[in-house]
Amino acid sequence: MAEKRVIVVTGVAGYWGNRVAARLRDHDDVHVIGIDSETPQENVDGLDFVQADLRNPLLVDFLQEEQVETIIHLKFRETLMPSESAFEENVMGTAKLLGACGEAGVKRVILKSSLMVYGARPDNPMFLREDHPHNGPKKCGYIRDWIEIEKYAESFHDQNPDTILTILRFGHIVGPKADTPMTRFLRDEEAITLLGFDPMMQVIHEDDVVGALVHAAQGEYRGAFNVAPEKGMPLWKTLGLASKLPIPILHPLAYWSVSLGGARLAPMPLDYLRFPCMGDMTRMRDVLQFTPQYTPEETVREFSAQQRVRKLFGKKSRELFEQDRLRDTIQRRKRLREREGERKPARHKSA
Amino acid sequence: MGQMDELAVGIKKDADMPDASANGDEMSAAPDDAVAFTDKPARKTRKTSPAKKTTPKKARQTKRRARAALRAQAPETDVLAELPDVQEELDANPELQRRNQALADELLHEVEMVIKRLMRLSPAYKTNLAVPQEVQEALGENAETVAESAGGASMLKRLQKLLPGEMLDTDTLKGLWTMLKFTGEYQVDVLKRRMTGDYETDEWGMDQEFIDAVRPLFDFLYNRYWRVTMTGLENIPDEGRTLLVSNHSGQLPFDGAMIGTGILQNHPAARMMRALYANWFPTLPFVSDILTKTGQVMANDENAERLLRQDHLVAVFPEGYKGVGKLYKDRYHLARFGRGGFVRIALKTRAPMIPVAVVGAEETYISLYKSQTLAKLVGFPYFPISPTFPWLGPLGLIPLPTKWYIDIGEPIHTDRYPEGSENNLMLISQLTDQVRDTVQKMINDRLRMRKSIFMG
Repeated sequence: MAEKRVIVVTGVAGYWGNRVAARLRDHDDVHVIGIDSETPQENVDGLDFVQADLRNPLLVDFLQEEQVETIIHLKFRETLMPSESAFEENVMGTAKLLGACGEAGVKRVILKSSLMVYGARPDNPMFLREDHPHNGPKKCGYIRDWIEIEKYAESFHDQNPDTILTILRFGHIVGPKADTPMTRFLRDEEAITLLGFDPMMQVIHEDDVVGALVHAAQGEYRGAFNVAPEKGMPLWKTLGLASKLPIPILHPLAYWSVSLGGARLAPMPLDYLRFPCMGDMTRMRDVLQFTPQYTPEETVREFSAQQRVRKLFGKKSRELFEQDRLRDTIQRRKRLREREGERKPARHKSA
Repeated sequence: MGQMDELAVGIKKDADMPDASANGDEMSAAPDDAVAFTDKPARKTRKTSPAKKTTPKKARQTKRRARAALRAQAPETDVLAELPDVQEELDANPELQRRNQALADELLHEVEMVIKRLMRLSPAYKTNLAVPQEVQEALGENAETVAESAGGASMLKRLQKLLPGEMLDTDTLKGLWTMLKFTGEYQVDVLKRRMTGDYETDEWGMDQEFIDAVRPLFDFLYNRYWRVTMTGLENIPDEGRTLLVSNHSGQLPFDGAMIGTGILQNHPAARMMRALYANWFPTLPFVSDILTKTGQVMANDENAERLLRQDHLVAVFPEGYKGVGKLYKDRYHLARFGRGGFVRIALKTRAPMIPVAVVGAEETYISLYKSQTLAKLVGFPYFPISPTFPWLGPLGLIPLPTKWYIDIGEPIHTDRYPEGSENNLMLISQLTDQVRDTVQKMINDRLRMRKSIFMG
């Protein structure tokens, strides 16, 4: 037990915490402790669960006592409208956690963020680098919280240069189980688009998100990383792959109705349906050395296949392996083998 | 079509006269319609069975049509004016004469065969029973010319226009239907594919299918509307990063589209040009979409550098809004070339800079005044007032069909400067001025040569 690395996953009652904790349990050299203020509904077998609020001042003692090596912070409550309670929970919770980490001398902290923090703007470079300023809309609850969290993370990094702080900014996350702004956008039969706009966007599969978070816990990757497949897709292609009917609305009209309180018109600010907001993946490839397994097309196809199944057999249905899906799976496994084949000789050479 | 044959028989009779082909002057009287009647049976007799030919009903129809043809054959019709040309063409071209003669022979031979077969089938058959006297006489006058020129190529074409006999053929209609059906199915298939997201774009959003669809419009503008003359294409390398630096003019960014079209049409490597556009365009519906799908990219340092590192052919318009929104009185006076950002990127990526001068685009719109107030009101970077623009609404947006020249200059190589030159501000401003002066000089040279705005 003593030589095992101790990894704390916050927010295990939520989807991401749950998935990451379950994935980490496959690593033999890792002891996983899950923290959340509420008990998880779906139990991860053999998870060391501790019920605690992140804002508890005794958290420092807990981290010291358990000799925690790594914290993967996944506690996050997504609200569309700016909400004080969510801000308190997300931003202040993270600030307190980071403070406790600094005090307790935790070696590694991993935060999950989104490419949306850069903001979708007409003058954006097509591929935003990690040092691009965070111009995301402050009127959107979850984006504002992410931006604030990153601000705290930056000052934490300045004060504790020894702690390895990894921030993963993911593209639009889509997957059969995850609940994200993008899946909410694609949930209905129709999707709102802005007339005459078709921005490029990067879509990442939920499994790749979990994979990237677990991968980041295995090495020393300092700083922020954009994480998404390098290839973007136009919005209309995404909608086509998801078999959604695009409903184009004249953009002043759409903005106007959102400003009048129709915020639920789109689960993300309309700017993201108008201008591109894509990350430059050079650092992910070269520094983080992570490659998403799913191509964006596969991700969206799988999502829509799952949706069709759900519509027919209800929410509880297990995954149905359709022809498309198996074909994609075969392709993906082939790519994975090829990639590993490439990597092994490279490693051999360097040795 | 069988009903025509009696007529052909009639012609045969007179065409057999020994001096038939001698009289060339008679040709001026030959009406197109009459030729039509003789031409058709000659081609169709092979297919039709001789048994059908003598039905009285069809014979009556033939008579009616022949009379109508004769009535139309008044000697003072417009057709006459054109006929001597045909004769000249025939005289000048021995090949045509030879073909003409061969076809005439074939026609005569076939008519003869038909008569022989008819005689064999009904020994009582007499040609003058089927064709009334007057028709025979009229035909007799023209028979030699008809027989002589029936195979003339230009005549044939004109005939086909006059009498679209194929339209009555079921095979033609079937073929047409198949074509229409195929086109329809193809379009539906494309639409279905696009609706289900089954298409590819590159990482900048360029969509080849979209380009193929809109290209005819740009080809029309390039070849027909502005009749662009492009020179110096050999200065653009077949591959490798290249930065085109052009003047900007014409209120709407058609100049970029025309440079791109010209290179795609005429360059041996048919390189796809990626123009960098100003940050106002992505805020406009459709404009942003079309620019992205045709492979154009928002202008900023990161995009330019990435494109050049990917060895694309990139075009920049360093004058920006100041250039595109020029007043008519300021035409061809280059504005400031930005802050020389393009030179810095070229030095950084070691891409050669190629100056490009576009002449003719300045006059497509005549901007007399720029309204600051209106520009602020509608959120445009500039708002031109031209003799037509706000007054005629969308009609005022139609550009004038001026004659364009696009001159591509010699490359200015950046790889001879040492590493890290992109931080040398002196060098950057020097190079910026050099490029600007080169473009201005090329414009002036062209303007000196140009005689007319519209005719070149």
